[in-house]
Amino acid sequence: MLILGIETATQQVSVAIGGHEGVLSVFELSRGRRHAETLAPAIEFVCRQAGIEMTEFGVVAVDIGPGLFTGMRVGLSAGKAIAQALRVPMIGISSLDLLAFPLRHADRTVAAVIDARKGELFYAFYRTVPGGMQRITDARVGSIDDLVGDLMARGQTIVCVGDGALRYRDEISSGFRCDFAEQFLSHPSAAPLVQLAHAKALREEWVNPWEIQPMYLRAPDAQINWSTRAGGAQ
Amino acid sequence: MNVTEQTLVLGIETSCDETAAALVMGGYDVISSAVSSQVDLHAQFGGVVPEIASRAHLELLNPMIARAVVEAGVSEQRIDAVACTIGPGLVGALLVGVSAAKALSLVWDVPFVGVNHMEAHLYAAFLEDPTLEFPLVVLLVSGGHTMLVEMRDHGHYRLLGQTIDDAAGEAFDKVARFLGLGYPGGPAVDNEALHGDPEAINFPRAMMHDGLDFSFSGLKTSVINHVRKHPDVSAADVAASFQAAVVDVLVAKARRAAELVGARGLALGGGVAANSLLRERFLTACADGGFHGFLPSREWCTDNAAMIAATGWHRLRSDGPTPLDTGASPNLRLPLRP
Ligand SMILES: [Zn+2]
Repeated sequence: MLILGIETATQQVSVAIGGHEGVLSVFELSRGRRHAETLAPAIEFVCRQAGIEMTEFGVVAVDIGPGLFTGMRVGLSAGKAIAQALRVPMIGISSLDLLAFPLRHADRTVAAVIDARKGELFYAFYRTVPGGMQRITDARVGSIDDLVGDLMARGQTIVCVGDGALRYRDEISSGFRCDFAEQFLSHPSAAPLVQLAHAKALREEWVNPWEIQPMYLRAPDAQINWSTRAGGAQ
Repeated sequence: MNVTEQTLVLGIETSCDETAAALVMGGYDVISSAVSSQVDLHAQFGGVVPEIASRAHLELLNPMIARAVVEAGVSEQRIDAVACTIGPGLVGALLVGVSAAKALSLVWDVPFVGVNHMEAHLYAAFLEDPTLEFPLVVLLVSGGHTMLVEMRDHGHYRLLGQTIDDAAGEAFDKVARFLGLGYPGGPAVDNEALHGDPEAINFPRAMMHDGLDFSFSGLKTSVINHVRKHPDVSAADVAASFQAAVVDVLVAKARRAAELVGARGLALGGGVAANSLLRERFLTACADGGFHGFLPSREWCTDNAAMIAATGWHRLRSDGPTPLDTGASPNLRLPLRP
């Protein structure tokens, strides 16, 4: 079964094709043109180079966030349209899971940290289990202080990974001693996406395109302002 | 690609707060049109909230595309091209549609056509009357735009006048909010005005005798000042008098524009074109001026995907497909080719 993987939750755009043999083709771009301009040509490119027709895909896998809302929706909207047109199911995987997965051989607790902008971070903790990584906390949104507090509460040597960890490296290490993953692992990639999706596809853990839900973790600003105002008026 | 009367285009529209998909054949023949309005989601905020709109488009677009295809009763294999609004509009909202449209063009292996939303409003009139003759003057009035455009031929436009400050629809929204009439302001003021006297208050007709540009921010200020000075004034009279002032200017300038360019016809477009007084006065002015007046139905005045598909058909025929590395252009202007 061939899987098309689409990853646009951070500033990187990544597309991969996976199958039983593993990752067959990958495209990755982390600077230059933006998601919407890059994604469709990237899908066309990976297919053509791998000699695969769009109609051969049996599953469409997407990163469902958390991440940058607009970028995330570019990938989700494209993925949903492809899956609907091909009448195939989808598999959604969290960006934080994708960051943690390449560190599965580190045998350490991993903190996957994505820059949520506005001084906030999306993060979750993982531990190594046979064959992969297991998330041991819910994905949450918080300040740098929240993250440092949660790191200290774990009280063990932790590896931090992600563009949020990279951006706030100094702030994190001044509050807590921890290690940082290699910089090239800082963005979720479509390669682990198709690998993780393949395992789920074998177990038929998929959803219909209209059921897939992005993980925003944050209400729209207007709604936050509105509930604050409504609360103040009572 | 050979673009013919049989060419079937899927149109997608997500530029503001309507999620829409439609199938149009040969540039005029609407086979199906599905629209989901998010008006209720934004009503409590008194205006469109971009992030809420983008989230809703992502949820609603697939069902709208499915509905358009099912209602058309055609197989997806029959679709020859996918057209989508690329601007102007809210960037996050536009990107949901553009990403889906390009993805569909890849899967179906058909051309993608990026469409200018304002140009599509000009084409809305042709959905019901393909025999409209050029030169045609179109008065385009919506929440974001107020402009007078001369269509000399398909794809050839000249901007004759536009607002120098607020759009007419924006003035309706602001006055409705000030009077506590609710959101969206257009229908709210329209309804309230039914019970009022349009001659009760003589609000200014800004720039009435001054070129073909418009200005509505002074009018909005006059309404606010008048109500502050006369707190007991009837809201219905204010609504009716305000609406009369807006419509007077719109209709007078549209008629003058049509006379200036020697237009064969005069058409209305945009969300404000659903206003009942504007529709009535517009037809009277056309009859008086001897132009063929054209009023699209309300469903084609407000945002819809049929006008996108129709415009896509014309642009595909004249310019060919749009490259897949095209993004959204939130500030896209009407392409002016005299
Ligand atoms: Zn519009």
